[in-house]
Amino acid sequence: MRRTLKLAAAALLLAVLTTGCAVNKATATVDPSARLDTIRSVHVKPYANDERGTDKVIVDNLRARGYQVSTGKEPAGSVDALVTYVDKWFWDITMYMLELTIQIRDPKTDYPIATGYSMHTSLTRKSPPDMVDEVLGNIIKEGKGK
Amino acid sequence: MKQQLVVRLFKAFVAASAIAILAGCASGAHREGMAAAPLASTKKLPHTVSVTAAGGQETGAMDSSNVSNADLKAAIEDSITRSNLFRNVIQGRGGDYDLAVTVTQLEKPIFGGAFTVTVEAGWSLVRTSDKSVVLRKAIKTSHTAEFSDSLVGTTRLRLAVEGAVRKNITEGLQTIAALPI
Repeated sequence: MRRTLKLAAAALLLAVLTTGCAVNKATATVDPSARLDTIRSVHVKPYANDERGTDKVIVDNLRARGYQVSTGKEPAGSVDALVTYVDKWFWDITMYMLELTIQIRDPKTDYPIATGYSMHTSLTRKSPPDMVDEVLGNIIKEGKGK
Repeated sequence: MKQQLVVRLFKAFVAASAIAILAGCASGAHREGMAAAPLASTKKLPHTVSVTAAGGQETGAMDSSNVSNADLKAAIEDSITRSNLFRNVIQGRGGDYDLAVTVTQLEKPIFGGAFTVTVEAGWSLVRTSDKSVVLRKAIKTSHTAEFSDSLVGTTRLRLAVEGAVRKNITEGLQTIAALPI
């Protein structure tokens, strides 16, 4: 009896803990008028609540993709696009990046011409470089399909 | 004696788990809750409009409240109809103007008493006859649902999402009403 109860409790605990632990989302939306293939220079604006250096990960990823990248509060000169982002972190044994949204904006109007979003909960968590690569990759892929 | 204690603990655990699961079941933002009140502006545009919505997400079973594209589109259409801003809302293509609204950011809290949600959407209005862009604007709005609005966290979050979207639609339609079209 006691053994059965223990097994049932363990199974229930597992069910409660795991059903919410494997949510994966990865989407990208690109404005029909956007020409992402013409973008050469971008400026990454750090998110005000970024405490973990996600801006640097985004800068590194964009440079690796061949873009001319600047970063800081405002661009020093003219750029083809602004890059903004919002990251959300969560704790499960260790802190991990739960969600990342990246927007590509028109530098003159701030209008978001493309947006990418990824969410991976604890059991399928990804490292910040992998999250950034997934989001930017999806935006670029979606832009090519236009 | 000890066995009875184990059984009681197990029952308590089952009850607590059931409450946790039920409380965690979120529903997506409702279109009625997102629709804006009629605009204060009395401007009536003599044009028809087609509406598309993008960037939204369906709400999964273990997810927190999201905004689906279908509900956002319906809420915008309802808001336009209520305010009589355009002569008519056309389904599909074929309107004098194409209004495209894309959700680009939905910031939601994970814990808390008062929930503040911020939504950013790109509003684009294109004249279909010559494809000229008459509006391209990012609109960011926030809404806070207080503890007094609902004791249930998931409902409170949904109310905050609906409020933020409602304000976004209001601001978007006010911007369109101010255009010289």
